Amino acid sequence: MVGLSEGEKHFIRGGISQDLRADGRRRLQFRAVSVETGVIPQANGSARVRLGATEVIASVKAELGKPSILHPDKGKVSIFVDCSPTAAPMFEGRGSEELSTELSVALQRCLLGGKSGAGAAIDLSSLIVVDGKVCWDLYIDGLVVSSDGNLLDALASAIKVALSDTGIPKVNVSLSAATEEEPEVDVSDEEFVQFDTSSVPVIVTLTKVGKDYIVDATPEEESQMSSAVSVSVNRHGKICGLTKRGGAGLDPSVIFDMISVAKHVSQQFLSLLDSEIASAEAAE
Amino acid sequence: MLQSKTFVKKTKAGRVQKVVREHYLRDDIPCGAASCSACAAVEHPLAADAAAILVVDTNVVLHQIDLLENPAIEDVVLLSVVLDEVKNKNLSVFNRIKALCSNKARRFFVFTNEHHRDTYIKEMVGEGPNDRNDRAIRVATRWYQSHLGDNVKVLLITNDRDNKRKAIEEGINADTVESYVRSLAQPGLLDLVAVSTSGDVAMEDVEDLRPSKRKVIYSEHKPMSEITSGLRCGIYHQGKLRVNRYNPFEAYVGSESIGDEIVIHGRSNMNRAFDGDIVAVELLPQDQWHESKSFIADDDEDYAEEDVHLAPNSADDAPRNTNHTQSTVASSAAAVSSRPVGRVVGIIKRNWNSYCGSLEPMPMPAGSGGIAHALFVSKDRRIPKIRIQTRQLGNLLDKRIIVAVDLWDVLSRYPSGHYVRTIGDIGDKDTETEVVLIENDINTRPFSTQVLACLPPLPWTLSPEDLANRNRQDLRHVRVFSVDPPGCRDIDDALHCTPLPNGNFEVGVHIADVTNFVHPGTPLDEEATQRGTSVYLVGQRIDMLPKPLTEDVCSLRADVERLAFSVVWEMTPHADIISTRYTKSVIKSCAAMSYVEAQARMDDSRMVDPLTVDLRNLNSLAKIMRHRRCERGALTLASAEVKFEIDSETHDPLDIGIYQIREANQMIEEFMLAANISVAEKILKHFPLCSLLRFLNQLSGLAQKLEFEPNSSFGRPTFSESVDSRQCLQIVRLVAINRD
Amino acid sequence: MEYVNPLTGFRVDGRRPNEMRQLKGEIGVVAKADGSALFEMGNTRVIAAVYGPREVQNKGQQVNSKEALVRCEYRMAEFSTGDRRRKPKGDRRSTEISLVIRQTMEASILTHLMPRSQIDIFVQVLQADGGTRSACINAATLALADAGIPMRDIVTSCSAGYLCSIPLLDLNYIEDSAGGPDVTVGILAKMDKVTLLQMDAKLPMDTFENVMELAIEGCKAIANYIREVLLENTKQLECQRG
Repeated sequence: MVGLSEGEKHFIRGGISQDLRADGRRRLQFRAVSVETGVIPQANGSARVRLGATEVIASVKAELGKPSILHPDKGKVSIFVDCSPTAAPMFEGRGSEELSTELSVALQRCLLGGKSGAGAAIDLSSLIVVDGKVCWDLYIDGLVVSSDGNLLDALASAIKVALSDTGIPKVNVSLSAATEEEPEVDVSDEEFVQFDTSSVPVIVTLTKVGKDYIVDATPEEESQMSSAVSVSVNRHGKICGLTKRGGAGLDPSVIFDMISVAKHVSQQFLSLLDSEIASAEAAE
Repeated sequence: MLQSKTFVKKTKAGRVQKVVREHYLRDDIPCGAASCSACAAVEHPLAADAAAILVVDTNVVLHQIDLLENPAIEDVVLLSVVLDEVKNKNLSVFNRIKALCSNKARRFFVFTNEHHRDTYIKEMVGEGPNDRNDRAIRVATRWYQSHLGDNVKVLLITNDRDNKRKAIEEGINADTVESYVRSLAQPGLLDLVAVSTSGDVAMEDVEDLRPSKRKVIYSEHKPMSEITSGLRCGIYHQGKLRVNRYNPFEAYVGSESIGDEIVIHGRSNMNRAFDGDIVAVELLPQDQWHESKSFIADDDEDYAEEDVHLAPNSADDAPRNTNHTQSTVASSAAAVSSRPVGRVVGIIKRNWNSYCGSLEPMPMPAGSGGIAHALFVSKDRRIPKIRIQTRQLGNLLDKRIIVAVDLWDVLSRYPSGHYVRTIGDIGDKDTETEVVLIENDINTRPFSTQVLACLPPLPWTLSPEDLANRNRQDLRHVRVFSVDPPGCRDIDDALHCTPLPNGNFEVGVHIADVTNFVHPGTPLDEEATQRGTSVYLVGQRIDMLPKPLTEDVCSLRADVERLAFSVVWEMTPHADIISTRYTKSVIKSCAAMSYVEAQARMDDSRMVDPLTVDLRNLNSLAKIMRHRRCERGALTLASAEVKFEIDSETHDPLDIGIYQIREANQMIEEFMLAANISVAEKILKHFPLCSLLRFLNQLSGLAQKLEFEPNSSFGRPTFSESVDSRQCLQIVRLVAINRD
Repeated sequence: MEYVNPLTGFRVDGRRPNEMRQLKGEIGVVAKADGSALFEMGNTRVIAAVYGPREVQNKGQQVNSKEALVRCEYRMAEFSTGDRRRKPKGDRRSTEISLVIRQTMEASILTHLMPRSQIDIFVQVLQADGGTRSACINAATLALADAGIPMRDIVTSCSAGYLCSIPLLDLNYIEDSAGGPDVTVGILAKMDKVTLLQMDAKLPMDTFENVMELAIEGCKAIANYIREVLLENTKQLECQRG
């Protein structure tokens, strides 16, 4: 996808090994981040995140649904990502399906935990309205509008911002005497419950180029990677999910090193994001 | 010029959905005042010299519409927020206020405050829609005051105590309806003021309530939340209450949840519900399900009370010693019926209206001119008596008047209402005619100019385009004639009967082609749809379509060319139909006869002119057809028609007689039926899925209730034969004709 | 339902019958594309990105080597409508709109100047509130201009409907769902030629003329706006150059 000459490749690799990347960044430095909330008015929460020239939109819609029989005390969250062809002509038609699925699955793994819903970054039990009867279903949709590398990190942070922007309507439940009946749910138009997003993680992808690893890789840098590890870390420094991509094998000790680096970088990134959220909310 | 603002709304259509709509705020909405130079408006409904510009709140429009319709009330601003609320709460009031606003003769102005940059407000947190709308009304009123300056007084009219207080606090002139009307110093106007409901500013002259002495007569209606949950659990049943036309103390509620009609006995069980109200009903225990024979007692109870109410301010609400339910049990405990019996626990939607009637005779109170309380009796027996206050009792006592209902609380035996207008003297022919028309909701207004504009240019003549139409057949050469009652001016059908060389007859029925002139969706069409039918009174006809159409262009008169729609059969002399065709046509009738005339021609054996021969041929065919139809089991549903003897000078009816049915009448009837049957077959053939044909299936069910044994389904000879009792046949007739 | 208040003449959202929703156009919203634009008509918001002219990627698609191949894809975001429904990609409606946009834009692009090359127009609907195909065409015009692709004229599109016996300009979603006729027109603004015309209900001939006339007026107003946006953009570029 990225056509590079031998010289260019050499230049990129050489820059990384000397901690001075082609665009002037250090290895563990993110590009400029800009955050906007409430960009999709008909969603319950939404955000646009720009990371360099990468631009993604995340929206959160809440619908009332029924909890699954296995987990009557939990709501449901689903994450779908779509790559718009506006981002790159290769996403035309069915061309985006593979990447979209890969990103969706990686995000689900990092944010939703296992099949049981245990270990999810989003507190699923906070979505329950009536045990076993009514819960909120959150539909999180990500859209890649412009693609300039590091889509996963951008999407994860957009989702985090969108969740913090999300107001779920307050629900009054009038339980009728007969318990078999469907409970009467009255949805408020004015009162919203804010979502607790303090434990929602961000994803930091460390891309290994040569012996070193970098964060927030551009497509040119991504083309030179041997492997990449995406680590999702929350505010409390807990790791919520992990994905390794790329062909080359990694020594376990390198992986541990990468994780600890990712943990360190993530705290900086989270602080950056939090201040961006605060200023975006102030602007709104 | 446009300013965009989006507001967020959640609808609950099974699912929670966030709805985003644009809401443009503008700065080019005129204020409508003639004294204003700032607004570049074309129209200035509000007069420059207005004493005050009135801004009314929603409840004033809802309850005081009769007052607003009075020409004494002018220079009124209606805010869009008020109109929207009125529309949601009461469509008929909304239509009346809409008519007022579009009436150029009245000085009413609609101000779109919700889209004005300076008067749009957002709902504050925890405010609630009602308070928000009240605030919007105050904001708009203040805007008017500051916009128009000190030269003009802007007055907020509200009966809401809270709203009035807040308005005055915010420096807005505010007044109640009563005190504003009082300030106009037109005593008659106060009669139109509706009784204020609880929570409103109390009327100054409200009667002494003496709560200790007033007894609760009706049980309190259940709150709406309880009703909805009760309906869901199946404790309560929802339906429209229908009061028995012949016994106003008995009502029925058709309930889908029960699948049967619930009977309600007595006023206390009806619990202040009016005919047509949507009510919630609770069933009584099954041992109290009995056929009530006690309405007579109930009636007595009511009549016995009458003299009690004659004096104004009398204790007409004194408790009755007889508890109705008890009396019912006592009188007819034996006859336990299978029909569910219930009582009304709440009213979901009121069907309050204004009613025609008169005041109960009562002596003039001493010191006339003061306020008198009177009882109004509606001509419609289903409506209970209504208490009104009036300052013009002497004027109203022997008049037919219209009264509107305002409220009915648990403490009063009768609902309270207010006087709307006088129709005329009781017993006067014109007055009573108008009463009949009003009671039946018949639109007697002349046709509007928009409707009349849809008429073809007059005088109308056949155009070459009509003849060139391939779908329209030229039948002007055919000997077409019409037979109608004497003096008939709207001749809508005509016939012809031509002998064919093979011995058969070509018989045609021609109906005036109204569709050529009334096109779907036009104001003319909509007006006719709304009127539905022409109404014939003894000395008057209220048309469905304008007269030029019914009496000229679409009247198949003699010797003029007219457009028609024709059914043409070839029939054997034995009246067997060989072929049928349907066509648009142009005809030229050669004779418009009366029934008497046609009969005389047929009877006079000396006459052998072609027209008379045609008539005789038709008549012999009709006889065969009629015989055959009766053999197939046709019910003769036509009831005896009456005719009036009219005084030739005064046009007053002198006598009433049974209309004499001649052979000629039956002949025409037969061919009209035959045409209908042929057309119905044609429609059914082409639109099998959506043909609207009348199906009298329920009749056999009814017949069973009346304990006939219809041996097979309705329509076979057996049914008619089994209907031997004349009385029962009469009932079936009534039902078949008057199903609604 | 009254879509136009008979007493005040205002529509549900406060517009007059012949008024358009608020327009917004922005150039260069997708950094990596050769040309891109955002276009808003009220709450309808679309992004268009243009890639090309470039080498034809799939030779099989090339019909005429003397002219540029124009391709288009229309896509709705999952969150673009009020009710979230996952639709399969390339459903019939999207395919139809893709085709309509392609044909409309092709009529304006000077394809003969770019033989053996391909131009891709991608439109992404972010918010749908009626009139998406018009908004897409307007966005595509801006994006093509941003990409510097030679065009005969500015193509703009606008819809008009007929409700409550009144012709209405630029229907929003509520008005569009009223079931009345919806006439979408696309014109070459300066040349005064109609390149797109669609209607989905029956209308008497003389009424149709009025409705179409109104839609054309709308197109012209949009063309003026688009010209302003382009001019503003060019001025900014000039400033950036120094």
